[in-house]
Amino acid sequence: MKLEENKYFKAVVKDAWPYTLGAVLLALLNITLFISNGSPWGVTTPFLYWATWIYKAFGGQVENWVYFNNPAHLKAINLSFLTHGGSLMNIGIIFGAFIASLAASQFKIRKIKSIRQVIVAISGGLLMGYGTRIAFGCNIGAFFSGVASFSLHGWVYTIFIFVGAWIGSKLLVKFFM
Amino acid sequence: MAEFRLDCLGEACPVPLLKTQKKLANLKIGDLLIVEIDHSCAMKNVPEWARKEGHHVEIEETGDGEWEIYIEKTK
Repeated sequence: MKLEENKYFKAVVKDAWPYTLGAVLLALLNITLFISNGSPWGVTTPFLYWATWIYKAFGGQVENWVYFNNPAHLKAINLSFLTHGGSLMNIGIIFGAFIASLAASQFKIRKIKSIRQVIVAISGGLLMGYGTRIAFGCNIGAFFSGVASFSLHGWVYTIFIFVGAWIGSKLLVKFFM
Repeated sequence: MAEFRLDCLGEACPVPLLKTQKKLANLKIGDLLIVEIDHSCAMKNVPEWARKEGHHVEIEETGDGEWEIYIEKTK
């Protein structure tokens, strides 16, 4: 029998896991992380540090920026990819997703279909990046960890993510259909 | 009974689903629509929607990270 036809291989490696299983695993991992690290899971703040480290490597100065008045951020800008926990986790996520897609034989470098797709992807990325700074995180840091921490900002985020998704889908239909 | 192909390769969610919905609306009962996708979440939401609408759906893996979804319009 081929490995591809083995039902356990199919359920674990090939097919998407059920949403409930994913939710329980994420909750348990976030609790573990909170106990060991003192702060819950976040994804986008390390990306800000990555950009800061690159900017600093080219001689940029950020220490006097208002954003870096926050002692936690100021401390992080002196760390690096390999000494900052959140960055290691992000690298782990990307690497893990890569391994998972290879194991399922589903890895593919997708073609760029049109210049419009490029423009929309880049402007979407910039808007999301800006959004994560004013919302204190993304759907992980602000929603998942924010709501689980009983923080009001998580709930404000939750309401406005629906508003944003509604406007976003209207724009998507207008530009892509 | 005609056969149609819809090229959604390189399109991210939810574009394949929206295009499928639009295309299928113009088809006649008994027609077959083959949707080509390479975004794994479209492999979940396109068949899910089509089955809920009551159409016959089959998925075939045609390559690494590429699938064809066969939808037979039943109503």
